[in-house]
Amino acid sequence: MLNGPKFVEVSDLVRVFPTPEGPVRALDGVSFDVRRGEFLSVVGPSGCGKSTLAMLIAGLLRPTSGVITVDGRAVDRPQTDLGIVFQNAVLLAWRTALDNVLLQLEMRGIDPRSYRDRAWELLRSVGLEGFERRLPHELSGGMRQRVAICRALIHDPPLLLMDEPFGALDALTRDQMTLDIQGICARGGKTVLFITHSITEAVFLSDRVIVMTPRPGRIDSVVEVELPRPRRLAVRELPAFAGYVRGIRDRFMAQGVLRDIEEAPAP
Amino acid sequence: MTWRDWSPPLLTLVAMVVVWELAVALLRVPEYILPAPRGIAAAMVKEWRYLAQHTWITVQEVLLGFAMAVAVGIPIAMAIVYSPLIERAIYPLLVGSQSVPKIAIAPLLIFWAGLGLFPKVLVAFLISFFPIIIDTVVGLRSVEPEMLHLARSMGAGAGRTFVKIRFPTALPNIFAGLKVAVTLSVVGAIVGEFIQADRGLGYALLQANAVMDTRLGFAAIIVLSAVGIAMFVAVDLLERRLIPWHASHRSELAAGTL
Repeated sequence: MLNGPKFVEVSDLVRVFPTPEGPVRALDGVSFDVRRGEFLSVVGPSGCGKSTLAMLIAGLLRPTSGVITVDGRAVDRPQTDLGIVFQNAVLLAWRTALDNVLLQLEMRGIDPRSYRDRAWELLRSVGLEGFERRLPHELSGGMRQRVAICRALIHDPPLLLMDEPFGALDALTRDQMTLDIQGICARGGKTVLFITHSITEAVFLSDRVIVMTPRPGRIDSVVEVELPRPRRLAVRELPAFAGYVRGIRDRFMAQGVLRDIEEAPAP
Repeated sequence: MTWRDWSPPLLTLVAMVVVWELAVALLRVPEYILPAPRGIAAAMVKEWRYLAQHTWITVQEVLLGFAMAVAVGIPIAMAIVYSPLIERAIYPLLVGSQSVPKIAIAPLLIFWAGLGLFPKVLVAFLISFFPIIIDTVVGLRSVEPEMLHLARSMGAGAGRTFVKIRFPTALPNIFAGLKVAVTLSVVGAIVGEFIQADRGLGYALLQANAVMDTRLGFAAIIVLSAVGIAMFVAVDLLERRLIPWHASHRSELAAGTL
């Protein structure tokens, strides 16, 4: 999978935000690429510019300097050939789960009726059978996020951008969603850029993990995760998995993002 | 609304009317100072045709003034939300203009606009358009930024985003503004009629006062209140029809949290 053609190319990306305290370099010279069909995670603490990175790739923000291309074309306007999932589901309160999924097509001026069956099928595939006609306020947080994921997939985009999609969910729901995402992405052959602050989540899902440093946001290191797929939850207890997690955690320690206690307490 | 919801206020109202009736009788209050509820009811029955005539005039003024406020207020709010230049140029003035007591300039308006229905409509409009603008601006701005990002990633232009996302999102706020506005519109019409009119409930009220027909005066006030309540209820019903999804109308909340 890592040998596929480059799908997203990011080179020397800089994004500066003006603030009352002076300009802040949210991203400073970031370069990497995502191969077609790859699951790439960007992990880092708040303030490392990882959400900015997603916005730039989606064409929803303009870079201060640097170039992004998706499928060989420069990103100079909002990209439409992708699906986006944010931390909050951002569903329309007056639309049912089904109609929220179909919004993706209506906004594109496509007749949503021809996509109804596919929408039903998608909702069923994420465990929302029987909830298609519910309004968002009748769904749990996890269910709402599943609807948002279906909305990002209904038009079958080649690229999926997920910005901390499980950030607002409880731990058990997160585990289930992680498995579901793995299944969806494996089936669809999607290229995925997954933004998270959870090291475990990043290692579990990814082919490669980009470790970011905060203020200014730079790439610290890139970790290739060579664990066989599909991965079961129990993979997290394997020594190899722990090794990847420790490796990334050590990078954050070296940056000073994480500080362990001075010495282990006596047993 | 169930019997459980509206029976307590109804019973309180009945009790107040009974106390009023008894107090007037026991304390021998002269009718020209405070008539008994039964006397007011009798006046309403006897003069119903007269009251209905004037009610119809006032209702027209209120509805036209309110319609004008909607027709002017919502586009101005859209302009403020979509154009930073317009916002900076007119929003502060608009807010500042609210410190001018509109009732104080009403005589001038009536003087400029002349006789008939229109000057009263104008006062009703001027007094009621401001809350519509403010609430519509707040509503149109309440769309989550992520939702607007999504709309752009779906390739939608400003028009489609407005129709499918922005306007429906703003509806709860817009209706909050409409409810305030329709009530103010009634006030505006009456103020207009007080200043100069030969018909309408405000006129009927002044006429009754002039001849110390307190029973008829109270009857006019009661009809006037009913008009205000009816307008408010009409907007509320429309709101329930249009935005049943909004939190304020969900049945589990209406049933109470006890």
